[in-house]
Amino acid sequence: MSMNLPPDPTGGLRGVNEDRLMKRVFLSPAVIVLLALSIFPLIWSLGISFTDMQRGGSTVARQAEAEGITEGVGFLGLGFELTGRNYQRLLGDGRLHSTVRNTMIYVFFGVMIQYLIGLGLATVLNQPFRGRNLVRVIFLMPMMMTPVAAAYTGRMFFDSNPLRSPLAHFLREVSKALGSERGITVPWFTDTGWAPVAILIIDAWQWIPFMTLILLAGMQAIPDDIYEAARVDGANALQIFARITVPILLPISMTVILIRGLEIFKIIDVVVVTTGGGPGSATESLTLYIFEQALSNGNYGYASAIAYILLVLVIIFATIFLAVGRRWIRGSASGAD
Amino acid sequence: MRGATKTWLRRSSRRPLWQSALLYAIVIFWCFIVLFPFYWLATTSVKRPIDVSRGPNYVPYVDFQPIPDHWEEMFGSQRKSTERHFRNSLVSAIGSTILSVIIGAMAGYGLSRFRYYWGRLGWDNDNIAFWIISQRFLPPAIFIVPFLLLYNFFGMVDTYAGLIIAYTMFNIPFAVWIMRDFFNGLPVDLEESARVDGATRWQAFIRIVLPLSAPGLVAVAIFSFIFAWNEYLFALMLTNFKAITMPVLIAGQNNTRGIEWWFISALTLMAVVPVIIMGLLLERFITRGLTAGAVKG
Repeated sequence: MSMNLPPDPTGGLRGVNEDRLMKRVFLSPAVIVLLALSIFPLIWSLGISFTDMQRGGSTVARQAEAEGITEGVGFLGLGFELTGRNYQRLLGDGRLHSTVRNTMIYVFFGVMIQYLIGLGLATVLNQPFRGRNLVRVIFLMPMMMTPVAAAYTGRMFFDSNPLRSPLAHFLREVSKALGSERGITVPWFTDTGWAPVAILIIDAWQWIPFMTLILLAGMQAIPDDIYEAARVDGANALQIFARITVPILLPISMTVILIRGLEIFKIIDVVVVTTGGGPGSATESLTLYIFEQALSNGNYGYASAIAYILLVLVIIFATIFLAVGRRWIRGSASGAD
Repeated sequence: MRGATKTWLRRSSRRPLWQSALLYAIVIFWCFIVLFPFYWLATTSVKRPIDVSRGPNYVPYVDFQPIPDHWEEMFGSQRKSTERHFRNSLVSAIGSTILSVIIGAMAGYGLSRFRYYWGRLGWDNDNIAFWIISQRFLPPAIFIVPFLLLYNFFGMVDTYAGLIIAYTMFNIPFAVWIMRDFFNGLPVDLEESARVDGATRWQAFIRIVLPLSAPGLVAVAIFSFIFAWNEYLFALMLTNFKAITMPVLIAGQNNTRGIEWWFISALTLMAVVPVIIMGLLLERFITRGLTAGAVKG
């Protein structure tokens, strides 16, 4: 392997041997950690997903235990019966279907809301005004909040009792002022339609600032002469935004949307704290379902199978997104001239 | 400095008044959206239970009489619990931050300065870097079962070491990514002249490169710390008593005590405020790290 190495431009003659060693020293710790704690569990859980493993051993292991055979059974998943049953079970699992749907809703609408509002706010913050740095600092605050804490705060606001929640109070007063007799109360967490909306809003509150700050950094990197030239050509603000800002921001936009999308696939804390997955399983996310199958029910095999479904969804999402994104970026690059 | 002020004046004087008004209206509105929940947490934490349920009460001393009881409870009768969980969060976050920074800086430096070629896979530096960052985006749910089994087998459930190892694993990809980006922007001349003077690679890395890359290291440290401090799923899964962290404690308030909003609010602020203060002090590093990851990426 070392014979194929291209010459190292920074290593002199004296450094060659040292460098050959040092380059391994530098990279190895990270690679070893990832191989041991990421790649190995990844492959292992694929194996587990094809077994009937449960907490405290599989049916085979329990049987063996009852018969007094302890050797070679139940050790870290070895000695379990191989089966495709978990994957068959996936097909008929209604709760799985609804958690997949919920997760897709969180990802799709979450990313869309956060991107559009983030883009709008970044456009506003890109204008010079007094106190802009302060605003940027304020924007960092929600991002740094523990999602669990943000979820509890959200729960206070989406309480539909106007005596407790300032939001419910506000909605009631406004709707009264607009002519509704009793005032509107929204059953945020008890209604299957509203509950996901509340969760989306909490996640958006936390992460719109992230979108905003990154898009703002992207906008500030656009040189002024481009705008100048467009203005000289007589373009108005809206045209400049649509024809120049948005296309130039496309690559960054793709990146932040991908990052946020992949993050929302992982959503669990906000759901646990606000609704616990309910009402019914209207807000349950895939990660929460997997967690419950593994920890509450102890179905290790089945939980791993569902986790692989999630992984496949994530990979499909990322692949399609990157493929479409590249085409878009290429298209807009040639179209902008 | 003066030039910047001039541009600012020129630009803003060109803007019609209504646009400025709209601009400030939007900015103030959004700042309100961001800040009001924090205000609400702060006021709720000093309300009597009756003021929480018979409200909503907005302004202390006007709508309600603030009381310090819940904070006193948190640092009084609940002191041991508060301290323990806070310490758990602190230890696991700091421990994993140190490890992530060290391992991330080393790998980032390697990927920036050496040429790697993994013959069997046909991977060069870019492929390796991409592989490393892609680990960051694997759904953590896939690790639930293997980690449970591993941690039980090695007796690491409910230990600091267990949490630190897990969080380090999650933080390394991002750390490597940011540090590689940072080192790429750092000229090699200084290291080279140090090496001409007889320093080894390692010495050049420790004495020349690391001091110069303090901003990158700080950015990585902040991100690692915030991630570990805020993490919920693995903290919930891998702890059951001794090593429970703040997020798990907060999330569990629901079950153990019923919903005592006033106490939860105090606890939440306890978990959130230190991180936010740290973040605000180090704001420029955060922005830099964010943009290094995404804008160039």
